Amino acid sequence: MWDGMINGMLTGISTTMIPMNIGMVLFGCFMGSLIGMLPGLGPITAVALMIPVTYGLEPSTGMVLLAGVYYGAIFGGSTSSILINAPGEAATVATALDGYPLARQGYPGKALAIAAYASFSGGTISVIMLMFFAPMLASVATSFQSADYFALMILGLTAVSAFAGRGGVLKALLMVVLGLMLATVGTDQTSGVQRFTFGSLELLDGIEFLLLAMATFALTEALSIVLKRDESSDSLKPKMIGFKSLKVTKKEFKQIAPTIGRSSLLGFIIGVLPGAGATLGSFMAYGMERNIAKPEDRENFGKGSLIGLAAPEAGNNAASSGSFVPLLCLGIPGSGTTAVMLGALIAYGIEPGPRMFTESPEVFWGVIMSMYLGNIFLLILNLPLIPYFARLLAIPRNLMVPMILFFSLMGVYLVTFNDFDILMMVLFCVAAMALRLMNFPMAPLLLGFILGGLMEDNLRRALLIYDESISFMWERPLTLGINLATLFILFFPMLRSFIASRRNNTNKTLSAS
Amino acid sequence: MLLFSMAYGSLALKIPLSFMAQNEFFTSRTMPYALAVLGMIIALLILVMPTADPAGKRSLKEETRGMDWKTAILLVVGMIGYGMLMKWLGFIISSILFLLCGFYILGERRIKRMLLASIPLVILLWFVMSSLLGVYIAPGELFYTLGVL
Repeated sequence: MWDGMINGMLTGISTTMIPMNIGMVLFGCFMGSLIGMLPGLGPITAVALMIPVTYGLEPSTGMVLLAGVYYGAIFGGSTSSILINAPGEAATVATALDGYPLARQGYPGKALAIAAYASFSGGTISVIMLMFFAPMLASVATSFQSADYFALMILGLTAVSAFAGRGGVLKALLMVVLGLMLATVGTDQTSGVQRFTFGSLELLDGIEFLLLAMATFALTEALSIVLKRDESSDSLKPKMIGFKSLKVTKKEFKQIAPTIGRSSLLGFIIGVLPGAGATLGSFMAYGMERNIAKPEDRENFGKGSLIGLAAPEAGNNAASSGSFVPLLCLGIPGSGTTAVMLGALIAYGIEPGPRMFTESPEVFWGVIMSMYLGNIFLLILNLPLIPYFARLLAIPRNLMVPMILFFSLMGVYLVTFNDFDILMMVLFCVAAMALRLMNFPMAPLLLGFILGGLMEDNLRRALLIYDESISFMWERPLTLGINLATLFILFFPMLRSFIASRRNNTNKTLSAS
Repeated sequence: MLLFSMAYGSLALKIPLSFMAQNEFFTSRTMPYALAVLGMIIALLILVMPTADPAGKRSLKEETRGMDWKTAILLVVGMIGYGMLMKWLGFIISSILFLLCGFYILGERRIKRMLLASIPLVILLWFVMSSLLGVYIAPGELFYTLGVL
C-alpha cells in the first residue's frame, strides 16, 4: 500500500509542478478569494462561475483550478464576514461571530491575519489526512458493486437532507427528489426513449448541469441581494488596512495553536461525512472550543475572541478538504460545492468513483498534492493582498449585481452557444428564487440532479444482477450496512427530539413534585 | 410541489415504451413513477406535519415583506431580453446593452461609469475568447439580414 501511495504522491507532484498547473492553482486561489469575498456569493457560485474556464483544459488542470477556487472562496468568505459582517455563505457565519467584533475593536488586520493562519493550518493538516485516508478508502471501494453504489448514493442524498437543520429535513428531501426528477429529462441512455422533452430538440440531451448550477446559485444569489435590499457592501468605507496591523504576536500564536489543531481534526472528520461539509465543520469547531474553554476565555466568545475566530476558520477549511474524500474515493459528493465539482468531472469524461484512483491517478493525486501548494499560495497571496482585497468589498451593488448576472449567463452561453439555454436559465432562476423564498435549500437539488443518472443506472444494473429483485438491499452485507447507516441518519433527528422532549417532561415532573 | 409531482407523474405515464420494454421489470418509466410517488408523499408530509419553528409556519406574504420586487422583476425581464437579443444582435452588442440596462435598473445614472464598466469588459472577454482561446462566437443574424456581413 505504501509503495502505491508513494508512487501516487510522485504522480501528484509531477502533475502539480507543471507550470500550467502551478499557474492554475494560483489563479484558482486568487479568483476563489475574489468571488468568495463578494457579499452573497459563496464557494458553490465561485466554482460554478469558473467551470466554463476549465472546459478547454486537461481534466487534471481543470480540477486543480476548481479545488483552488473552492478553498480560496471559503477564505474569501471569511474576509467579508470579518470586515462587513456579511458572510458569503453559511460556512463563514461562525467566523463573523468573533471576527467582526474584533475588527470593530480596531483590529481588522489582526482578525484577517488570524483567519489566514488558521485557514492555512486547517487546510494543510486536513490535506495530510486526506493523503492517507483517501487511497485507503478508494482501495476498499474497488470491491463495491452497483448495489452498494446505489445504497451509497441514497446515503449521500439522505445525509445532505438530514444535516439541513431543524424543520428543514423534509424540504431538503423534497429538493433531492426534484433534482432526481430533473435528471430524468432527456433521452434515456439505456433504452433511447425520450422523457419529458416536450418535443424540444434542445432538451434531447437533458438539462446541462452547469446551467442548473448557475441558475440555482449564481443567478438567484445575485437576485437575492436585490430582493433583500442587501446594501452591506455599499455602506462599507474601506479604511486602508496597513501591513503592520496584520501582525500577530507570539503569545497570541501560542493561544490559538491548540485550537487550530483540534478544530482541524474535527473539521476533517466532519468534512468526510457525506452532506455535512464546511458549515457544520465551522460551527462544531466553534462550539467545541467554547465548551472546553476556560471560564475567563469563554466570556470573550462573541466579543472578539481570538480562539473563537481561529476555531471556525480552521474547522471550515479542514472540512472543505475533507469533503474531497467521498468525492474522490466514492464519486459521492459530500457537499453542494463538491456536487458541482462532480458534475465538472463527469463533463470532462472522467467516471468518478474508486476506479478514478487507478484509471486517472493524475487527477486523483494531482488534486490532493495541489492542495498543499494551494494552501501556501493562499497564505502568501492573501496576507499581502488583504489591504487591496478589502477595497473590492466596496464595489457598489448597482455595478456588482449586473456583472454577476452577466458572467453567469455568459458562462453558460459560451459553453453551449445556444440562446435557448439563457431563457431556460432564467426560468430555473425564477423557480429557484420562489423555492428559496419558501426556505427550500438548493444544494440537495443539485446533488440529486447530478447523482440522478448514476443512481438510475446502478439500480437498473443491480436489479439485473439480482433477477429483478430488490433483495440486494438486505442480502448483501455491505449494502445492508450502508442502508442501516442511511436509516440511522434519517431517523437520528427524530430520535434526538424524542429524547429531548422525554428529558424535558421528566424535568418538568421532577420540578413539579 | 405536490401539484408538480402529480403533473410529473401523469407525464411519466406518457413516456413511450417499446413492445419489448413493456415486459421488462425496469423501464424508462420506473424511476419517474417512483420519484412522482415519493415527491407526492414528501410534499403531503410538509403540508400536514406541524412545523418545528416555534413561531409557526410563516406565510409567503410574511416571508417576502419589504422585498424589492420591482427591481428584481426588471432584472429578470432584462435577462429574458438578453437571451432573445443574443441571436440577432450578437454577443458584443447584446452584452453591452444588458449590462447598461442592469446598471440603470439598479439606480446607476453616471453614463461615463456605466460605459466604462461595460464596454471594455465585454470587448476584453470577446477578445480573450475569440482571439486567444480560438472560440468562434457567431455575429448577430441582424448583420447578415442587413447585408453588413
